[in-house]
Amino acid sequence: MSTLHAVAAESASTLNPQEQAKRNDLTHRKPYIAEKLARITAMEERGEISPIIRLEKSYLCNFQCTHCSAEYYMDRHLDKVLKIVDERRKMDLDDVRRLSDEADRLGLARFVITGGEPLVMKDFDAVVAAIDPEKHYIITDTNGWFLDLPRAQHLKAIGVEKVQLSLDSMVAEDHDKFRNKPGSYKRVMRAIDASLDAGLNLILSTVLVKGRAKTNEFREMCEFATKKGIGLYVSYAKPTGSCTNHPEFVIEKEDADILRELEKTYNVFSHMTPSYGSFKGCITVKGIITVTSTMEVTPCPYIDFSLGNLRQTSLAEVLARGMRNPWLGPHRPDCIIGEDPKFIQIHTEKTRGAKFLPLPWGQGFSDNDSLV
Amino acid sequence: MNAAKTPTFFDTHGRCLPTGLKAPAHPASRRWFLFQQPTIDYAAIHARTLQHLGRGQALATSAEAFADRAQAIQARLLAAPPCAGLARGVGVPFLLPADRIGDYGQALEEKYLPAVSAAFKATLPAYDFVNHHAHPLNGKLHIASESRHARLTKAASQGDVVGWLYPCLLEYSVPAMREAIAALPDGLLLAGGLDTCAALVGSPCLFLRLDGYPPLLWLGALDGEKEGIGYHFEAYGYNLTFNRRAHLGQAAEYWAGAVVALE
Repeated sequence: MSTLHAVAAESASTLNPQEQAKRNDLTHRKPYIAEKLARITAMEERGEISPIIRLEKSYLCNFQCTHCSAEYYMDRHLDKVLKIVDERRKMDLDDVRRLSDEADRLGLARFVITGGEPLVMKDFDAVVAAIDPEKHYIITDTNGWFLDLPRAQHLKAIGVEKVQLSLDSMVAEDHDKFRNKPGSYKRVMRAIDASLDAGLNLILSTVLVKGRAKTNEFREMCEFATKKGIGLYVSYAKPTGSCTNHPEFVIEKEDADILRELEKTYNVFSHMTPSYGSFKGCITVKGIITVTSTMEVTPCPYIDFSLGNLRQTSLAEVLARGMRNPWLGPHRPDCIIGEDPKFIQIHTEKTRGAKFLPLPWGQGFSDNDSLV
Repeated sequence: MNAAKTPTFFDTHGRCLPTGLKAPAHPASRRWFLFQQPTIDYAAIHARTLQHLGRGQALATSAEAFADRAQAIQARLLAAPPCAGLARGVGVPFLLPADRIGDYGQALEEKYLPAVSAAFKATLPAYDFVNHHAHPLNGKLHIASESRHARLTKAASQGDVVGWLYPCLLEYSVPAMREAIAALPDGLLLAGGLDTCAALVGSPCLFLRLDGYPPLLWLGALDGEKEGIGYHFEAYGYNLTFNRRAHLGQAAEYWAGAVVALE
C-alpha cells in the first residue's frame, strides 16, 4: 500500500466554505476530536507535534502494485522471495487500544488504517473500535476493489470519517497495469461514487513518477478530481519497497515544481504543500508516523528505519527521538526519501539485504546520526 | 604574515564560520540548501529600486553612483583577508532609498513587501510572490539590539543606503546569527527587513533555483511579537513567499540568515 495522508487532506491555503462546513459538522458530531484538531496550530508554535498515525496492522493485500512501499513487509515476499518466516510478535487489538490511549494523552488526533489493503482485514471493524472513533479522526486507505456503496455506508456507520483512494492513471489500462490488477480502474471509479454517496470524506491519491507531472494524463487527473470536488494527494515515487528496482521513477525537482504550479489551479497537493497555516515541509515525524505490524515506528511510509518499538519505548520518547534526529526533526522543504540523494544512498545501503524491516532503532536511525 | 595563519571569518564558499558560538549552528554544512549567485546588473537593480521603492521619483543616488559605491564595498571586503571569503560567496548589492522608519512592521507591510511583490511579478510574471502572513505587522517587529541593524535604519533616515546582502549564515539559529554578528568586524550588520526587501526588489531572482532548493532566509535582526517567533522569506517552487513561523532558537540545515555590508 503506497498511500499517505490526511495531512494532505488539509491542503489548500485558505479554509474554503466546503472545508469550513466539514469542520463545523465534525465539531457538532465529535467535539472532542474537533477540539484536539483545533489545538494543533498552537502546539506546533510551541514546538510540539501532532502527527497522524498510520497503522499497518496487516500487510495482506489483493493487489501487487509496481510501486508498493510495503511489499517487503508482506508475508508473501518473506515466504516466496526470502523463504523465511517472520516470527516477530505482531500487533493485536490490545496494542491498538494502548496506542490509541497513549496518542490521545499526547494530543494526537488522527489515525490512518493502511496496510496492505485495509478492506481485506477481517478485523477491520474491531480495529476501528480499538482506535475509538470518538477519540480519533479515522481515515482508511484503500485500493477501492471492495468499496461498493454498502461497504462505504458501513464504514461511515462504524465511525470512519475519510477514505483515501488510490488512482494511478486516468487511462484505465495504465492504472490496471501499474496496479497489476485488471479491472481495478473501474472499481476505483465505483468506489469514488460509493464514498461520496455514503457521505464519507474522500481524497484520491496518486503516485508521481519522474516526468508524469508534465503529461496530459496527469493534468486530466487534476481536472477530474477538481471537478468532482475531491482533493488529489500526490505521493512522490520513492526508491524503496517494490520501487527499489525502479530508480528511474524517482522525481527531479522540476517535477515537484510543476506540481507546485498545478496547485494554483487544481485541488492537488503533496505532503509538502502548505495547509491551512501549517508550513511543515517534509512531514516526517512532524506530520506523520507509521506503526508497523511489529509495533516499530517509522517516520514515514517509505523510510525503513525504526525510531523504536512501542513495546519497549513510549510513544513520547519515540517522537522525541524523531524530532532530535537531524534528518527528520528540522524543518525542510524537500522530501528526504524522495529527493535527497545522500539520504537515499544511506537508506539503500543500510536496507540492502535486510530480511526483516524496518531496521531497528540503532541500526538505521540512532542518536548519533549526522548530516555530514 | 603566513597566509595559512590569517584568521578568517568565512569559508571558501562564503559561509560564516560558526566558531565559538553558544547558540545552535551546524559546525559544518554539506551544502545541500544553497543560494545561487544571481547575475549582478547594477543598472537593472537601480531601475527596479527606482520603480518599486522610489515609486518612480528620482533617487539621490544615480545608477552610476550606485554601481561605484557597491563595487567599492565589494573591493574593500576583498582587500581584507578576514572578510574576503564573504565577498566571494553569494551576495547581491542593494540600494535602500532614504526613509524614516516609524513602526517597522507597518513599514514592511505597507511599503517594502508590496515593493518586493511588484518587483518579483515584473521580473517573473509567470510566478507569484505570496505573503502568507494574513495578520497586521504593525507593532510586531522590533530590532534586536545585538544585531547592529539599527545602524541601517539610522543611515536610511539620513540618506540613500548602498550595501550588499550576503546570505552567509547558513544553518544558524537566530540566536547564533546574533552571536556571530557580535564577533564580526564592525562594518557588518545582521540583515533585517528593510535591507532584505531592498535586496529582493533589486534582485528578485535571489531565491530562484531550478535544480535544487535555496534556504529559508530569516529576518534575523528582528524580534517577533513572541520569543522564538520570527519572519522570513522562502521559495515555494519558483514562487517567493513571506511568512512567520516558530524557530524556537533552533538551527536547521534549511535555515539561513544574511549579513549586510555597508559603506
